[in-house]
Amino acid sequence: MHVMVATDGSKQSLAAAQQFMSFADVAKVEQVSVVAVISPLATVPFANELGGDRPDDPTRLSFREEANAAAGVVAAEFEGWGVPVVHRRILSGSPAAQIVKAAAEHRADLIVVASGSGGLSETILLGATAQRVQHSAPCPVLVTRPKR
Amino acid sequence: MSRQTDTEPAGTPPEELTRSITGRLLFFYVLGDVLGSGVYVLIGLVAGAVGGAFWIAFAAGVTLATITGLAYAELATKFPQAAGASLYVHKAFRNPVLTFLITICSLSAVFAASGSLATGFARYFGSIFDLVPALLVTLVFVVLLTLVNFIGITESVVVNMIMTFIEISGLVLVMVIGIIVVVRGDADFSVLTSFTAEGNPIFAIVAGVALAFFAMTGFENAANVAEETINPSKTFPRALIGGMAAAGLIYVLVAMSAALVVPVGTLAGADAALLEVVRADVLPGSVEVMLKVFAVIAMIAITNTTLVSIVTQSRILYGMGREDVVPAVFSKIHPTRRSPYVALVFSTLVVASLLIIGEVLSNVDPDLDIVGRLATVTVVFLLFIYALVIVSALKLRGEGETEDSYRANTALLYLGVLGNIVLLGYVVIDDPASLYWVAGLLALGVALYLVKRAAGGRSSKGIATGGEA
Repeated sequence: MHVMVATDGSKQSLAAAQQFMSFADVAKVEQVSVVAVISPLATVPFANELGGDRPDDPTRLSFREEANAAAGVVAAEFEGWGVPVVHRRILSGSPAAQIVKAAAEHRADLIVVASGSGGLSETILLGATAQRVQHSAPCPVLVTRPKR
Repeated sequence: MSRQTDTEPAGTPPEELTRSITGRLLFFYVLGDVLGSGVYVLIGLVAGAVGGAFWIAFAAGVTLATITGLAYAELATKFPQAAGASLYVHKAFRNPVLTFLITICSLSAVFAASGSLATGFARYFGSIFDLVPALLVTLVFVVLLTLVNFIGITESVVVNMIMTFIEISGLVLVMVIGIIVVVRGDADFSVLTSFTAEGNPIFAIVAGVALAFFAMTGFENAANVAEETINPSKTFPRALIGGMAAAGLIYVLVAMSAALVVPVGTLAGADAALLEVVRADVLPGSVEVMLKVFAVIAMIAITNTTLVSIVTQSRILYGMGREDVVPAVFSKIHPTRRSPYVALVFSTLVVASLLIIGEVLSNVDPDLDIVGRLATVTVVFLLFIYALVIVSALKLRGEGETEDSYRANTALLYLGVLGNIVLLGYVVIDDPASLYWVAGLLALGVALYLVKRAAGGRSSKGIATGGEA
């Protein structure tokens, strides 16, 4: 199967990937696409908290490179797990819409996303990304939440 | 279960890249940024400085800003990254102190801009609800916009578009009023060439240009989205220059229209100058209703630009915290909202204190005009940054160029440096007191830097990054 794993650069998104690996059968996963979405007009278009391969030159704050580095960290997890094909896809636009679009385009069989502890305000005002993804995804969605 | 591997070779590009900012979107982004900021707040000040011919000041200010835009377009297509001016200056001069200074200037400029925009908002607000104290309005306004940024509504392309259309509609309304007056034959065209300000008309124009220039700021925010622009070397210059030229044309027409409809003295003395054009009672229907509608449009326009400037502030702080130039706490991201909340709260506090200090000062000395003052302060910073950016563009010629990179006209760029320096000289000589404000804001930046050093964190690289003012 083809699994699409979304990362927003947060530790939670890495934990979501790891949780999937903790119970899934690696032999059945043929390919994984790690998707990172940049929101150009946001205050911080992409916040990478995962580290990875970042440029040393401090004036080169590039949100695209940050997204690529974060996706690289998640992709490395899957490669280490033994998935034969791991793609990195850096997209730009509205996160939920881009994830759903990419899943449809690449015929994903499962989407893995992390959900924050969405409060009342975001549920009413915007809806969490995870919520929007599961609402319109073309395939099953695994939403992981932080343990309380 | 966490397995850390490094099978991924360093720097491997991802297999799929998409970019989402189209030329049209960028055009409206620039137009929205530029249009909201100045004209609603400053048109009275410019009219007062020049007289009936103040549209000439707008035309000159717009031209100079567009030349600066050419340099930005050239640099952004060569180095399509989010860092803006500090990136360009760093690339050109490789001087950490200068880069840090530019970042602090950018930051201070947006702080000052937010402050003056909030005051402008309060004036239009006061024209509808005159019981609420202006200071309260400005503070609530800034806090609300910070919340909106925290939630993340600025990301919405649709909201941006709607706001831009509302801004344009307000200015079109002013132009329509102007056209009606002309068609009726009530217009006295000699106003358009009269200089009522005392002294040399050249100086009056320079004074007006400095203020009108402020009305064009906002275009440099476009450099932030350069990285996500589709086919940037073609789209970016076209959209940036197109957006600025369109905004400039609208400004000049609005300025002419205002001068034809309302006596210049009234414009100069008005709290919210464009309301006077509506008050002239040219349009059919109730003036009262039209005034309210127009005040709401003006408030939306100002809100749009203030939103962008709050985004810019926190993005610069985020970048600086990220690179350890200021305490790393500024780069903290909210776990679910993905906004740099510490940076947002801090910049709100700075803008709020600016506003409160301004209010206290104006109680001590009622003649102190805070909007004008903050506008001049912003102009000082911006002129310095703009001049340096153009110099960087010239200095970086021959570096990072590809076949299709955009190349601005060299003679125009020299003209732009000269223009920026002349204006800078004028602003400083005309209003030396603005240097205190400049020093105050710069001191805040240096304090941030020292706090960081005193805290004994990692050795600071002394170089700043971030978004751009």
